[in-house]
Amino acid sequence: MNLAEYLPPDRVLLLKGRTKADALAELADVLGEAGLGVGREELREAIWKREGIMSTGIGQGLAVPHVRMPGVKTAAVAVGISPEGIADYESLDNQPVHLIVMIVAPEDEHETYLRLLAEIMQAVKDPELRRRIIQAPDTQTAHSLLVKER
Amino acid sequence: MSELALALPRPSHLPILLVVGTAVVFGTIGARLFQRLGIPQVVAYICLGLLVGPMALGLIGPRTIRQLQPFSFFALGVIGFMIGGELRLELLRKYGKTFLAILLSEGLGAFVLVGTLVTSTCWLLTGDARLSLALGTVLGAISSATAPAATVDVLWEYKTRGILTTTVFAIVAMDDGLSLLLYALAASAAGVLLGTAGGGGWLLLMGHVAYELAGAVLLGAAAGMAVNVALRHPCDHQKALPFMIGSLALLIGLARMLDVDLILATMSFGAVLVNLAPRRSRAAFEVMEDVAPPIYVLFFVMVGARLHIAGMAGWMWALAGSYLIGRTAGKMLGAYLGARWSGAAQSVRKYLGLCLFSQAGVAIGLSILAADRFPGDMGLAIMMIVTATTFVVQIIGPPCVKLAVKRAGEVGLKVTERDLMESYTVGQMVDSSIPAINFKSPLAEVVRIVGQTDATSYPVVSETGELMGVITLEGLRRSFMDEELTKVLVAYDIMESPPDAVTEDVPLAEGMSKMHEQHLTYLPVVSAKDGRLIGLLDERTVKRRLSEEVIRRQRLAAAQVGPEAQHEPATQPAGPPKS
Repeated sequence: MNLAEYLPPDRVLLLKGRTKADALAELADVLGEAGLGVGREELREAIWKREGIMSTGIGQGLAVPHVRMPGVKTAAVAVGISPEGIADYESLDNQPVHLIVMIVAPEDEHETYLRLLAEIMQAVKDPELRRRIIQAPDTQTAHSLLVKER
Repeated sequence: MSELALALPRPSHLPILLVVGTAVVFGTIGARLFQRLGIPQVVAYICLGLLVGPMALGLIGPRTIRQLQPFSFFALGVIGFMIGGELRLELLRKYGKTFLAILLSEGLGAFVLVGTLVTSTCWLLTGDARLSLALGTVLGAISSATAPAATVDVLWEYKTRGILTTTVFAIVAMDDGLSLLLYALAASAAGVLLGTAGGGGWLLLMGHVAYELAGAVLLGAAAGMAVNVALRHPCDHQKALPFMIGSLALLIGLARMLDVDLILATMSFGAVLVNLAPRRSRAAFEVMEDVAPPIYVLFFVMVGARLHIAGMAGWMWALAGSYLIGRTAGKMLGAYLGARWSGAAQSVRKYLGLCLFSQAGVAIGLSILAADRFPGDMGLAIMMIVTATTFVVQIIGPPCVKLAVKRAGEVGLKVTERDLMESYTVGQMVDSSIPAINFKSPLAEVVRIVGQTDATSYPVVSETGELMGVITLEGLRRSFMDEELTKVLVAYDIMESPPDAVTEDVPLAEGMSKMHEQHLTYLPVVSAKDGRLIGLLDERTVKRRLSEEVIRRQRLAAAQVGPEAQHEPATQPAGPPKS
């Protein structure tokens, strides 16, 4: 699976918000305007509902909010970088989150969804790589680091 | 009823297809109604025939009955063929002496008692000893026949299996031959009594009977051997069906042309086939089973339509009464004594007699021969008496068979998984022991729950117990693609959308059909009352339970036969499903 197919450069952004709600809203807005078949409000609601079940902050500064929704035409990824950190994300290790990778997929594309999640985990597994992505000078560089062939 | 018939406009004849369609459609509907009342379906068919025949509405006349005769022959042929399929050599070796003893006993029992009662009654009415003895002898011989069609239809309808069922099949299959022999002797004797016998009459008759019976057996056996060779070449259901229908039709046609006994010929065909190729021939019996039901319906409707006893004189009714009493008592007593002397099972001794009341084709055929042989009042009396008593026994016979097999505990023991599928509901097969998984459960919890059972699918429910999705083992496997990922996944993430649920009152066959249409191996089952999740209909569980139930019933049937007969034949045709 090629992550680049699901994550174009313009979906890597430097987050303005300093709270979980603001950060997730920013990423949801980007995906909402990507022509996926669902609007930003719907996406925000679905992501927030999923967060309500269990936080997607897996620790070590990383969070992977994800959702499958009816109406979504194709799977898509957006990445938010917060060098200052999102302190209220409620991660497993209670540490601030610096890298948020949001995934949206069609409701019935079960396998694609899980494969994409697994691919992303593989992409950001390395702590050193994560550090370089978070400290990248621009979003283009961050994107290149994320999607490079391994 | 006859006034009603006169009041209705009657076309000179109804188109044949209209008759066929009417008979099959309304016969099937009538059968369903009768089944709800616990009355065998064959009674419904015969009653419909009585209704549309000359005795009531007169919609079907003798011309139409003649035109439909080929269907009747074909139906008799199928019945003979299916009976033959029950006659396995190992059964005949095991029970052959018992069958023979019972056959002779019940056949001769009816012959003696009917002969005695009819002779006595006729003598009281006429004072003519020779005439009375001649009439009694001929009617006694005719009374020994038992019609297989109505009897086996009840056995198939109620899916019976056991020693009583096996004995009934054997007896009704063979007593046609006995009655033909007895008739030959009786007709000859009556001819001598009345002074109408020719010099070569007796020998000619016996010769003809021997030709009819032996010729039928040889013809059927030859057909069985020929088809056995053909069955060595594998072919699918599409090709097997026309081949079997064609083979049977060919055999029936030849039997008619050569003037040999049709039922014996087709029975011999079935018996040879099932013994030469028990496994290969299974498909042959199954395809006949699939095509036979509408033909049976039409056949029995025609049986009813043929019964016409209007205008019978009072003295004929008296003789008919003697015949009926003598035949009933003779069959029951003869069957009991024969079973007892030969050491047959208790259920056979007690209930076989009840299964031997039906009388139709052979008896009516012999009565027509007798009417031809003894013209005048005697011939007319024979025909009318046999027709009238056929009317009665065709109505009471099937319910008596049902009573017998029910009391013997043999009902429902001969089922296939397909039969059970049609009789169960989803609620009887739903697996409510499969634990439901809360949608918020972390993956570790999901794995723990899955590890505790051997189910392959698990319902995912909300806090209020509402079905939200289903987790399958395949879906769970996919979630282990990355170890880190397992920390953030919950049941909600890995569940699949639930398919449309079914309620517990839906027939199982329908539920399984819906499952397969969606290419699934499970289906959620919810309560018809409140939509609450009851459990999952799991394909693997359904198959296992059906298989277990079939084996349980087979063992039950085998246990009734006794320890020495625990070995069940490898295959047995199941007979037609319920119409």
